[in-house]
Amino acid sequence: MDEATASIASSPLPTEQTIRRRKNLVFQTWRFVALNLRMLTMITKGSH
Amino acid sequence: MLGAGISGHTAALHLRRLLGKGHEVVVVSPNSKWNWIPSNIWVGVGKMTTDQVTFPLAPIYKRKGITFHQALATALYPEGSPDMESPHVSVTFTDPSRLNETANIAYDYLINATGPKLNFAATPGLGPDGYTASVCTAPHATEAAAQLATVISKMKAGQRQRLVIGVGHGTCTCEGAAFEYTFNVEHEVRDAGVRDMADITYLTNEYELGDFGVGGMTFTQKGLETTSKLWTESLFRERGVNAVLGAHVEKIEPGVINYEQLDGSKNQLEYDFAMLLPPFRGADLQAFNAVGDDVSAEVFAPSGFMKVDANYAAKPFEQWRAEDWPSTYESSRFPNVFGVGIAFAPPHQISMPRTSPNGTVITPAPPRTGMPSGVMGKTAALTIFDRIKMGSSATDHKASMSSMGAACVASAGTGLRRGSAAAMTMYPVVPDYQRFGRTGRSAKDTFGEIGLAGHWIKYMLHVAFIYKAKARPLWYLIPE
Repeated sequence: MDEATASIASSPLPTEQTIRRRKNLVFQTWRFVALNLRMLTMITKGSH
Repeated sequence: MLGAGISGHTAALHLRRLLGKGHEVVVVSPNSKWNWIPSNIWVGVGKMTTDQVTFPLAPIYKRKGITFHQALATALYPEGSPDMESPHVSVTFTDPSRLNETANIAYDYLINATGPKLNFAATPGLGPDGYTASVCTAPHATEAAAQLATVISKMKAGQRQRLVIGVGHGTCTCEGAAFEYTFNVEHEVRDAGVRDMADITYLTNEYELGDFGVGGMTFTQKGLETTSKLWTESLFRERGVNAVLGAHVEKIEPGVINYEQLDGSKNQLEYDFAMLLPPFRGADLQAFNAVGDDVSAEVFAPSGFMKVDANYAAKPFEQWRAEDWPSTYESSRFPNVFGVGIAFAPPHQISMPRTSPNGTVITPAPPRTGMPSGVMGKTAALTIFDRIKMGSSATDHKASMSSMGAACVASAGTGLRRGSAAAMTMYPVVPDYQRFGRTGRSAKDTFGEIGLAGHWIKYMLHVAFIYKAKARPLWYLIPE
């Protein structure tokens, strides 16, 4: 097994709960709003 | 404006919005259409058509009062020439009605936003004219989708297939796009019910996964620091994708990729479908001084990208500084000439440079597409506007990649309910270790998250940026 394959094989897998949360429409709607706000904040900070 | 991609088109629209009718805004582009390149990924898996990611430029420019020449810029004469006293640029028309005609176009201010030349020739056998697919242009992506459909059909017929996606040279950039395409292909294969028949491999010049040409990122999650490496590796494990790292593709033969790795070993990878991005170089543009001497070597770096207000002094990685990066994008040789987007020459890589024992450079080139490109285009446009209004006393606008953030939403599969994407932001793009310490970036503004919301954001960006590029009402309120 090469180094890259070994490193991937030893990386953490998401839990069942994390996978469900990544697909949950209610939770993802909240994340959609939150991520957009964080991105806008970051853009504003870098604006010239 | 030379070029009508994200940078040039943004600059043209802002200048037209800001300047009165007494000023002429001219765009020269060899392409008749604008392309939202980030969505080419979805064309490449057959989820979008070319018409959904492109639109004709001429009607937009006619509506906005911008002069448009469908032509290829070939030479700059910033001090004029014996034929024409004023600064000008020579062009060769690609417009079918004037095909191969040449002309000189005078200018007071010039923005070079010519983007990349897709340098498939750097690797024998690379690209649509060789043996691999590409998603760099909408037609390339359409062809990639057709090839992908063929291998999926073979899998359905019971034939195991090897799919290789990544970059086709040791100095490529845009690893994020290759990453996106990898996971969109994986998503499509899974949707087709043949995931168990596909061996999917990501082939990259990155030293480790999650580098993305920006030296990787450090995220803070639940009170702990984690790296984009671990985060990306987790996704590879979850989706069953293999990776070959630190690779420089030397040559492609039918069904076989020959590559060298950072340890100096030479290896081969067999494939049934391969999408490998090409390295970029600057457009084939020359520059001449007033007496007709070729001064291209002073205006452009050996890579063909335009030298601007960066610190190009060669120095070791440990001495790289955030302030090496340009902020005004004005040519280092000629005033009133700007190089923005992919067209400007970066002072150095962002990722740590690495070389194999055979002397082969295997390091991602710095990404400067998308959001940074748009910001640079707008910055140059604002500087030009102020100089026109206030004269040479005007203060230049600045937007260095070392003080600019970027959002990267990497699709990992489409579908409004079943899609997924890795949404990442980093601030700044170029790490500033003097300002932010060990990680080089703001912990608060550098984060990553995987989920359906990321896919919605990616789709929202698709809709918003095409709306903006079409200069629909209030387009300028949408940030770059």
